Amino acid sequence: MEEMILKLKQEIIEVLNLEDIKPEDIDNDAPLFGEGLGLDSIDALELIVLMEKNYGIKLQDPAKGKEIFKSINVMADYIQKNRTR
Amino acid sequence: MEMKGLDYVVLNQGNAQLTELYRAHIGDWPKFFKMDTLSKAGFVASELLLKKIGERRCEGDEFIQNRAIVLFGSTASLCADRNYQETIQDKDNYYPSPALFVYTLPNIVTGEIAIRNHWRGETSFYVLEEPDAAQMAFHLACAFQDSVTESILAGWVDSRMNDDFQVFMTIIRKEDAADTERLAGQLQLIINDLNK
Repeated sequence: MEEMILKLKQEIIEVLNLEDIKPEDIDNDAPLFGEGLGLDSIDALELIVLMEKNYGIKLQDPAKGKEIFKSINVMADYIQKNRTR
Repeated sequence: MEMKGLDYVVLNQGNAQLTELYRAHIGDWPKFFKMDTLSKAGFVASELLLKKIGERRCEGDEFIQNRAIVLFGSTASLCADRNYQETIQDKDNYYPSPALFVYTLPNIVTGEIAIRNHWRGETSFYVLEEPDAAQMAFHLACAFQDSVTESILAGWVDSRMNDDFQVFMTIIRKEDAADTERLAGQLQLIINDLNK
């Protein structure tokens, strides 16, 4: 799981162009949106694309993203349980 | 009436230069890294210009209503359009990027600058074949015809490819635009510098 979390952080940094942030700067339990990484709604859409492109997870209900993107730990757990690739 | 020349900034040396300039002189706006080249070029040039003239930035709930942004360019958002197109080109690898899509309009650069500076005046982006001082002076003079605008952040912002851009940025005050011919002459001097 640790390896998966590191990979996920690297993917998020790359896809969201978080230029000045390193994987170790991202707290596994901190909220991704709001005060955490300060992500916005476009970033949320990019994360949905990331999950589909890299893990074959198609979110049928975008509102579910709010729960899934709560933190890196929650997101990694969801991916682990639902990935098709 | 004796008027001094316009303060301006010219940049045209590749994307790496924009990131270097951002890190060296700005550094407090991480959204910069998400922008397309057109917006990065416009954003950095505007920041350097405002530093050059020593203008204080609005803070908190402060905002400026009487500053417009009027920009010109020839290829508009073509560069961002191409980048986005790449994400939808292959039907077996079809993942439209929302982050690239938001830049497929040239006037997004005016919004990025307005948000950064809390300016709530008019914003517009005109497409011209090439930097044309007379046309630009005409449109700038028109922008002062409302009852609000007192100054305009004006300039040429163009990006043909990710690493290829050309930008100048200047501030035009209402009195600068009273004589359109004279304004065109001043803009021509900046354009000459841009084309060097």
